[in-house]
Amino acid sequence: MSTPTYLFRRVLQAAAVILIVTVVVFALLHSLPGGPARGILGPQATAQQIEAFNHEQGLDKPLPVQYLYYLGQLAHGDLGTSYTLNEPVSQLITERLPKTLLLTVLSAIVGLLLAVPLGMWQAVRRNKPVDYVITTLSFIAYSTPVYFLGLILVLVFSQALPWFPSQAPQGHTLGQVLSDPQGLVLPIAAGAASMVAVFSRYMRAATLENLSEDYVRTARAGGSRSRAILWRHVFRNSLTPVVAMLGYYVPVLFGGALVVEQLFNYPGMGLLFWTAAQSSDYPVLLGCVLIIAVATVTGTLIADIVQRIIDPRVKAGRS
Amino acid sequence: MTADQRPAAPAAGPILRLDDLGVVFTTQSGEVPAVRGVSLLVEPGETLALVGESGSGKSTVALAAMGLLADNARATGSATVAGTEVVGAGEAALAGLRGRTVSMVFQEPATALDPLTRVGKQIAEVVRNHREMSAKDAAAEAVELLRRVGIPEPEKRASAYPFQLSGGQRQRVVIAMAIANEPALLIADEPTTALDVTVQAEILDLLRRLAAETGTGVLLVTHNMGVVADFADRVAVMYHGEIVETGPVEDVLLRPSHEYTRRLLAAVPRLSVDGEDLSETPRAAAPPIEAEPVVELDNVSVVFGRGRGAVRALDGVSLTVRHGETLGLVGESGSGKSTASRVALGLITPNEGTVSLFGTDLARTRSRARRALRAGVGVVLQDPVASLDARMTVGECVAEPLRVHRRALSARERQERVAAVLDRVRLSREVARRAPRELSGGQRQRVSLARALVLEPRLLVADEPTSALDVSVQEAVLEVISELQAELGFACLFVSHDLAVVQHFAQRVAVMRAGRVEEQGDTGTTLLRPETDYTRRLLAAVPVPDPVVQRSRRTERLATLAAGRTEATA
Amino acid sequence: MSTVIQPGRTPGTATAPDSAAASGTRLAVRRFLRNRLAVVGLGVVVFFVLFCFVGPLVYSTDQTHTMLHQVNLAPSGAHWLGTDAVGHDELGRLMYGGKVSLIVGLAAGVLATVIGTLWGAAAGYAGGWIDAVMMRVVDAGIAIPALFILLVVSAITTPGLGGLVVILGFVSWLVPSRLVRAETLTLKNRDYILTLRAIGGTHARAITRHILPNSVSTIVVAATFQIADAILLVAYVSYLGLGVQPPATDWGGMLSAGLTAAYSGYWWLILPPGLAIILVVWAFNAIGDGLRDAFDVRGRG
Repeated sequence: MSTPTYLFRRVLQAAAVILIVTVVVFALLHSLPGGPARGILGPQATAQQIEAFNHEQGLDKPLPVQYLYYLGQLAHGDLGTSYTLNEPVSQLITERLPKTLLLTVLSAIVGLLLAVPLGMWQAVRRNKPVDYVITTLSFIAYSTPVYFLGLILVLVFSQALPWFPSQAPQGHTLGQVLSDPQGLVLPIAAGAASMVAVFSRYMRAATLENLSEDYVRTARAGGSRSRAILWRHVFRNSLTPVVAMLGYYVPVLFGGALVVEQLFNYPGMGLLFWTAAQSSDYPVLLGCVLIIAVATVTGTLIADIVQRIIDPRVKAGRS
Repeated sequence: MTADQRPAAPAAGPILRLDDLGVVFTTQSGEVPAVRGVSLLVEPGETLALVGESGSGKSTVALAAMGLLADNARATGSATVAGTEVVGAGEAALAGLRGRTVSMVFQEPATALDPLTRVGKQIAEVVRNHREMSAKDAAAEAVELLRRVGIPEPEKRASAYPFQLSGGQRQRVVIAMAIANEPALLIADEPTTALDVTVQAEILDLLRRLAAETGTGVLLVTHNMGVVADFADRVAVMYHGEIVETGPVEDVLLRPSHEYTRRLLAAVPRLSVDGEDLSETPRAAAPPIEAEPVVELDNVSVVFGRGRGAVRALDGVSLTVRHGETLGLVGESGSGKSTASRVALGLITPNEGTVSLFGTDLARTRSRARRALRAGVGVVLQDPVASLDARMTVGECVAEPLRVHRRALSARERQERVAAVLDRVRLSREVARRAPRELSGGQRQRVSLARALVLEPRLLVADEPTSALDVSVQEAVLEVISELQAELGFACLFVSHDLAVVQHFAQRVAVMRAGRVEEQGDTGTTLLRPETDYTRRLLAAVPVPDPVVQRSRRTERLATLAAGRTEATA
Repeated sequence: MSTVIQPGRTPGTATAPDSAAASGTRLAVRRFLRNRLAVVGLGVVVFFVLFCFVGPLVYSTDQTHTMLHQVNLAPSGAHWLGTDAVGHDELGRLMYGGKVSLIVGLAAGVLATVIGTLWGAAAGYAGGWIDAVMMRVVDAGIAIPALFILLVVSAITTPGLGGLVVILGFVSWLVPSRLVRAETLTLKNRDYILTLRAIGGTHARAITRHILPNSVSTIVVAATFQIADAILLVAYVSYLGLGVQPPATDWGGMLSAGLTAAYSGYWWLILPPGLAIILVVWAFNAIGDGLRDAFDVRGRG
């Protein structure tokens, strides 16, 4: 498949996925107590107000018509208005999303930088004590709820040892957030832990599989040393499937950010979402879900394209 | 290549000396000896073929000589390459030896190269492992090597990834890596087994030329007696981890002294070539009279995929298999022979053309009627492992067609039928209670055959039923099929890449190439006096297990090729 | 947290040739027992099941009434793990809450696996555009992180125990559906299925007699990881305020209730439930890892 055809198909696929997400969000909107009217007018609205609103907004029309209307709104970037903050949801999200992206991208980078070498080390030292220790630690890191891990981190590295602040940097702009790198350490650590666990396991598996491939034997038969083979051939071949996995991991990263932001009071989208949930601010909740889904789908798309670039076989459609 | 970079191979003495070599594998069930007391010599410039069936330990010997054994293997005794001991040597010593003094060519060109590294770079890596050279010079050297192994447009191909090359070209790249530093010894482990016959002939020509040019000694590991006859000076025969016979190729292949070698050679199907007595090939005799067609493909085309990526797998193919006869479907990989058999089975619906089974057009039958028709079909596929569901017993596997089409049978009647058909394929009735994984490859294929025959079908479709088996096992399985065919009278569509097998087994043959039927006719005529160039080339490429005959066939083939080339350029 | 990826989906060991005589089950048991982490994991699970279900019979405590005369007591001879903010014995509460965590986690994990298996097998076997549409639905499900959906649900309603299981099952069936689909795709092109179809066997027979039995090991392994994830998810659910309502509780509920107390130095309110969650989730993951080795299943992402 040629690159433009591929891109076209892949984007079409992503669009289909997002369309399905809008159906889910629309369904959630209609399963709210009192329906979307309650969501928009707020918990204090009376039954008469709701009925009037429903009529005015065409919410007494058949569901498919309403869905099309909802899609039309989305197309105009209208995600509704937060009734607690009294601001358009789209504006709230535009403000908060970059900060969440910053946190998740940094966590992902730190996580990968640790996970990849750890996984390779485990594979090379397979079934040796190092392998068992790292495996056990990975499983523990994976099994720990992020909020518990965050709490322990704060208790140890902020309370017992006053190394890092227990609050994430505040501030409206990315620059303000980045001006306090100390404050980012614990949130990133909490966000990266399970990523290290998952991806070191993946890297270990991929490296083990590649170490037993025929091409390793060919390289050895040509007089290459183990270390050279590991870095020149096995590393790259093992990394490709791990990059593909990265796409699937994006939603997990966002899920983690939700908890981390709440825990460290980081003013990103997760925190916005959390506070909205506490006050039943439905327009914000559903707007965030939609945007997170779009971000996830985009992340997966990027991971696929990156994989296509680093693995020539994928491009030829024979991976 | 300058003189000082040549390995310090002493002109005197063998380049490879194995002395009482033994290899033991440590497995869950204890220590398993794979090779015992193997001693042999390879002199500079000579080719020694190490032959044997699967599990004989021949590949293990080759790997031990390179110090490339798996971690769970332990070598004893001695293996010296150009005077350096390999058994027990450390990584540094081995790395110094590999790729410079001794090199290796492997069986599977599809996986032997790093898929993400350009082939030129992989060759340059071997060059730079042993020679002080800039990356640029090594890259130029890699292009030169690609030229030597006969890759067209080597400058361009050097920057290709392995998946962009054909199997034969990939094997040439592996060979280029092997000869990069002009080694004194080349170990080739089944170098042509994964390739088509015409490509096999080219690769063997290449190896022979390169070895002659540089005086390289070759240890050729193979199961194919034709390849041995074509290439080897001397032969060592392995059986159960030991060498049972060694000698010059003419002696071993024409006057074998050991009982095992005699049995092995007797089981090898030989391609009868023009001028030989045909009465020896019994199956080729007596084409049946115009019997009714059992399965008929009429002008069938199959297209896989859509748009620009579409592949025309079959293009206007017409085939007929009649009652009681065997039609051999031959061709190289990608010729469409397997696709054609799957169309006949109704597993692939053709885009154009019609398929009729037992006189009924498949496209015009409803699914229930079609299923009933298919009760008359038996199937044996290539892979002995994948053909049987590992979660069932052999008895359940064989009984499955009965459960589908003879639902009224009681459990006892079913068991009796299974037992009877197991008798027919010469398996003991006890086998019914065992798991497929407890059986050997040959036994499993007989179980598949039993399953195919349990409904007494009118048509048997066999897609490469013996190509995963050793020759002696292959012979037994084919014998069972032809005896049962004589007894039960079913028609057989027999797909194979092996022309010799088809010549012995089928009355009629269809040669396929690139989705078309190149020619078809009686086996006796078509494979002895082919009408098309393609069939002639195909036949000429098949090595026969007789060194004298093979030598003249090779000369003849090369002359024809050369003539063809001059004609083409003229 | 319901991850899309389970940790360590390794093909495990390249299996050495096994003696043909050994039966499949015995072989699998032997391979499982060789994975020491898995055996320890099995021990941990057995311990916690006994602890939560048999423990209260031996160590009986009052978990319904508030006892304000004994709040936030440090561990002592009378209360081995101290007491919480309303005076419940913490050790007893650990058993009491563990029951809920284990039952909900197990039920939700199994439910998710069942839904995922049916969906994945149907998509994989049908193929073509049906497969494409069904998998886009899975993609859409994966695109919305489970925690976000759960938080939205918690803003709308407070479910009972059964409702909780259903909700958890419905947000986490996506991973097993992908796995089972991949397995079905491989199996449906196996030679024995082709043979069956060629001789006129029905699709129903192919699915029930061959594809499902051969997917059992994949499904069992997926279910084990799914249970681990579900127990973890239950812990998050309480943290999100969607968990079981007091006086009932689960480990996640105990943990989030103790969060604020942790800063006051009441470590016994958070460490025991936290460690219990980690240990049990770890144990199920280790068992899953061992089962995968034992069955020689390849779990792909």
